[in-house]
Amino acid sequence: MKNKLMHLSNETMNVGFVKKVEALSGSSVRRCFQCGKCSAGCPMSAFMEHPPNRIVRLLQLGQGQRVLAGRSIWYCASCETCTTRCPNKVDLAGIMDALRKLSWDADGPSKESYVQLANRLFIENIRTYGRQYELRLGAAFNMKSGQFLKDLMLGPKLISKGKLKMFHSKNKNIGEIEAIFKRIEEMRKKGEAL
Amino acid sequence: MTPGKKRLNYSYYPGCSLHASGREYDISTRALFKALNVGLKEVPDWFCCGATPAHNVDELLSLSLCAKNLSLAEQVEGDLAVACAACFSRLKTTQHHLKEDEEKRKQVETAIAGPAALDKPVKHILEILAREFGLSKLEESVKKPLLGLKVASYYGCLLTRPPEVPELDDCEDPSIMEDILRALGAEPVKWSHRMECCGANFTLSRPGVVLKLSNAILESARLAGADCIMVACPLCHGNLDIRQKEIKDAYGAPDSTLFGNIFGSELQQGAPKDQRDLPVFYITQLAALAMGVPSGNLGFESVITDPKPLLREKQLL
Repeated sequence: MKNKLMHLSNETMNVGFVKKVEALSGSSVRRCFQCGKCSAGCPMSAFMEHPPNRIVRLLQLGQGQRVLAGRSIWYCASCETCTTRCPNKVDLAGIMDALRKLSWDADGPSKESYVQLANRLFIENIRTYGRQYELRLGAAFNMKSGQFLKDLMLGPKLISKGKLKMFHSKNKNIGEIEAIFKRIEEMRKKGEAL
Repeated sequence: MTPGKKRLNYSYYPGCSLHASGREYDISTRALFKALNVGLKEVPDWFCCGATPAHNVDELLSLSLCAKNLSLAEQVEGDLAVACAACFSRLKTTQHHLKEDEEKRKQVETAIAGPAALDKPVKHILEILAREFGLSKLEESVKKPLLGLKVASYYGCLLTRPPEVPELDDCEDPSIMEDILRALGAEPVKWSHRMECCGANFTLSRPGVVLKLSNAILESARLAGADCIMVACPLCHGNLDIRQKEIKDAYGAPDSTLFGNIFGSELQQGAPKDQRDLPVFYITQLAALAMGVPSGNLGFESVITDPKPLLREKQLL
């Protein structure tokens, strides 16, 4: 997909997708004139196949599928360097968030599975405990990603230093968090929120 | 304290890390505020702010979690003091977004089933120390100046970015940490990587990324002659301190294998690589130390890269 020749026509340009990205991020992609400052400062661009400025260019050309097919959006660290430095006030970090949300919703094959898994477990923890339970986060990640030995030496060290709690502390008002999750799901079902 | 001036009082949102992997940040923050006679009261039953993973895939969820926390904070008097850079950034961003975007605010209010409280000022403890308590008063309160300690102050990403949100300091050339260090009697070094990303929460999913980025930060600090690094974010601390040995294993020693000899010969002809341990301190640990708080109350036992040899060498223990 990524190296295929690009033919631009009404059929191959998905303008609806770009509009969704703009609505979600509250930022225009048309303002970008490709100065490349975002990619020059991006600490993660070495890990990406499309650096940030090319992501915006692909969106300008209606190539949402190409963007979602790659791993770039899952290698953005949300450090906001791009947004900070953009001379045309394109909120690159916001656009990356929007793209990840659309990819997450689509549940397609394009996701960088480890990053996705970590995000999913993190959010699950909030829903279950109200706060992060780091021991569970690490252990569940290793189990589910099949990397049983990852950071194996780190765990006992952190526990002995008091940095990993053996047991979680659940919030007293945990029901309120569940209610927030439920209400957001309902709003989305009714089409009241993106 | 000047007579007639009210004692400073803050509500306090510690965040998840400060109750777990960053516990020494919490301990030292409380110790420092006590030593400065500034009130700090924890918001009861606060929730996780969602940090990076929540806004990465679900902005509405992230905004709602933060809005909920802001309304919980209303129960406690005083501006909201936040120590974690990520929590600070998320809470501030939520206030900023919801004030500007009425439609989002309505959605969030539906999600949390109540009005979004957006008026309580959210302040990072750096701001509180340097601006509200004041640098001159901080300098006066120092009992044990950190003389001869060369510190690389590491800002990371979220303390100052994006420019319109945190309002903490200049987003490309901040100086607030260096100012505080000078007030404490320490010597801030000039270095290149103070605002580069450490890899943040990739520490769970892609540790290789963290090793690469954090290695560059540690290298730059060593090159500038720093004895240690000072941070104000539990994730930066985790990446630079907890993974320091791994980083050394991965990047430190010159490669003496056959391939290393062939391809790395250029590197090896230079001076041997500097592999000093660089202890990583939280701002509050150094400040409290300077205020004369006993080192046993600052959580030094929880740090992986042992700071004690350095502190002993500088006669600060």
